Amino acid sequence: MTLWSETEPEEDFYRVLAPDGSLVGEPPDLAEGELELLYWTMKRTRRFETKGLALQRAGELSIISRSRGEEATPLGAAAALEPGDWCFPLYRQLPGLFYWGVPMDRTLAGMMGAEPETVDEHLPFGDERSEPPVNFSPVYVPLGSNLPNTVGSALADKLNGRETVSLTFVGDGTTSEGDFHEALNFAGVFEVPAVIVCQNNQWAISVPAHRQTASDTFAEKADAYGVPSERVDGNDVFAVYEACKRAVQRARAGGGPTFVECVTYRIVEHNTADEPSVYRSEEQRERWLERDPIDRFETYLLERGVIDESDIEAMEAEIDEAIAGAVARAREVPDPDPERMFDNHLRGESWTERHQRAELRRERRGENPFTDWNGEGFQ
Amino acid sequence: MSEQRSQAEETVDRTIVDAVRDGLHTEMERDGDVLVLGEDVGATGGVFRATEGLLEAFGERRVVDTPLAEVGIVGSAIGLAASGLRPVAEIQFMGFSYDAVGQLFHRAARLNARSRGRYNCQLVVRMPYTGGIRAPDLHGESMESIFVHQPGLKVLAPSTPYDTKGLLISAIRDPDPVIFLEPKKIYRASEEPVPTEGYEVPIGEAATRREGTDVSVFTYGAMTRPTLAAAEELAPEIDAEVLDLRSLWPLDRAAIVESFKSTGRAVVVHEAPKTGGLAGEITSTIQEEALVYQEAPVERVTGFDVPYPLYDLEDYQLPNVARIREGIRSAAEF
Repeated sequence: MTLWSETEPEEDFYRVLAPDGSLVGEPPDLAEGELELLYWTMKRTRRFETKGLALQRAGELSIISRSRGEEATPLGAAAALEPGDWCFPLYRQLPGLFYWGVPMDRTLAGMMGAEPETVDEHLPFGDERSEPPVNFSPVYVPLGSNLPNTVGSALADKLNGRETVSLTFVGDGTTSEGDFHEALNFAGVFEVPAVIVCQNNQWAISVPAHRQTASDTFAEKADAYGVPSERVDGNDVFAVYEACKRAVQRARAGGGPTFVECVTYRIVEHNTADEPSVYRSEEQRERWLERDPIDRFETYLLERGVIDESDIEAMEAEIDEAIAGAVARAREVPDPDPERMFDNHLRGESWTERHQRAELRRERRGENPFTDWNGEGFQ
Repeated sequence: MSEQRSQAEETVDRTIVDAVRDGLHTEMERDGDVLVLGEDVGATGGVFRATEGLLEAFGERRVVDTPLAEVGIVGSAIGLAASGLRPVAEIQFMGFSYDAVGQLFHRAARLNARSRGRYNCQLVVRMPYTGGIRAPDLHGESMESIFVHQPGLKVLAPSTPYDTKGLLISAIRDPDPVIFLEPKKIYRASEEPVPTEGYEVPIGEAATRREGTDVSVFTYGAMTRPTLAAAEELAPEIDAEVLDLRSLWPLDRAAIVESFKSTGRAVVVHEAPKTGGLAGEITSTIQEEALVYQEAPVERVTGFDVPYPLYDLEDYQLPNVARIREGIRSAAEF
């Protein structure tokens, strides 16, 4: 058993950038602007989530899950996509969404429980900012349920002869779900242009990876389905990007699906309702803090002169200002019309919907909604 | 029939299962984005032959034999729909659909609302339901209430060949996810003329199969025939009105209430278990909307609250003509 949550075996995976920031492999061919964007996105996500935690503790946000210490995995994977591709994220992939321009104010408003249509009206896309060019599916919490949909989306592109790719994420825990296995099997049988990224952070709330599986790695599960796999250092943005880029290119060229296991660690709580000290050691966490994805990338960029200390300071100030602006705008999203809950639901005239809307209206007017004894309906 | 039919249109005699195949064929011919997927839908044409001939007509790209996996079938169909295709997924028996309930509830029922209308889930999931065919365990289920209870799904249950084709076409063209329940007990029970062209039967409208003045009887699917037979046995002593609901969600509550107001007495017939079944919902609707018209307790003639029995006992589980007749008599004579 060589799962990292129990022991620390040799790092037998693909790695480009070592934890000390030194190159141990061939870096991707990316322009300086692209490198800065990767760095800036990780920095921005971490500061955004830190602010989010403070807002949650102050009672302004619902439960949130942070990606702290895992940023390189969703970021490197999403950066491997092209405009027009599909991405089916879970709830710990914010760096990937931010990379493609999902705005912070809309994200925060959503975390505040705002109704999407109302967010659209008050924080619209328009001339100043356009919709993300990658198609992002809504996030559903039952993990694994995104996988068969990703395979279906990829199958649609294959049947239609489109060269688009569908990418999704699973966690270590998700690999125990039946949906995972059915979807991987479908992906292999139909050779769909899909990339399945396993963000193995080694903890599913309180359950360690070795309680999820008796396999040595998660990557080897793909072998059973005839799906090629790769295992990479999930805290190395170069390794994740390169592995996912290869997978995306193979999918786009008709070569079928790929499974990429990114080994990382959940540095923080599962979500804001969780207390990890109850079930795991601080020592383990300390070891993983030394492998931080931002620190190593920052060292690399500083040593190569892509950025300097003053750039970092300026960037942090700029990010914090942008976050403050996003918080202010998100707070201004008004309460929605409660009847919005009936919208975008089922199309067509419905007696039930008409009556239930009327009941809600009466209740809000302080009238008794339960007095329609003759079935005439309320106005 | 409540639909106006043109005298001039060409028809051919079809059973319900023929009408399913005809509906699929008609829509696949009309719209190149419609495709079918499921276990054995290709070369063998489905275990009930509902997709027979489609592979030859439309090829492997549009008639997709899948691995044996209901989550995979429904889950990938949702992804196909989100990407703009019009999948019609087949689940071989309703009893096999439960694994896929997560996909239907987590994803299909929510995709439109959670994406602010950006992505549609224009999906049909066909599944044969009803008992009475002497089949093994879990092949005789009628658990339609679970799908009705999840907001975001439409649920249809035709009882005639004409409605089967028309409702299936409506379901395929409808932008929402639709559960299409096929009454397999009467798949081949009888034929009726069905137009060869495509046509829609509106979703959400009940059909009055028999007009009457004494008792309103509400039913659907395979129970429509024995209910009509029971009504005939009681005539002219009791003049029962029989409504075939056809659409379980949205439910034609206006038709239910209107019929009830004219009779003041009601019976609901379904083979699904009584507790949590649609009969309770229909009874409540009557109570809420037409209490002052009520002259008798609403009778529920349904399956018992037991896991669907093995087939030597299924005749006792399913409402039959005699049981329905006595239910109507009870409501009429109270």
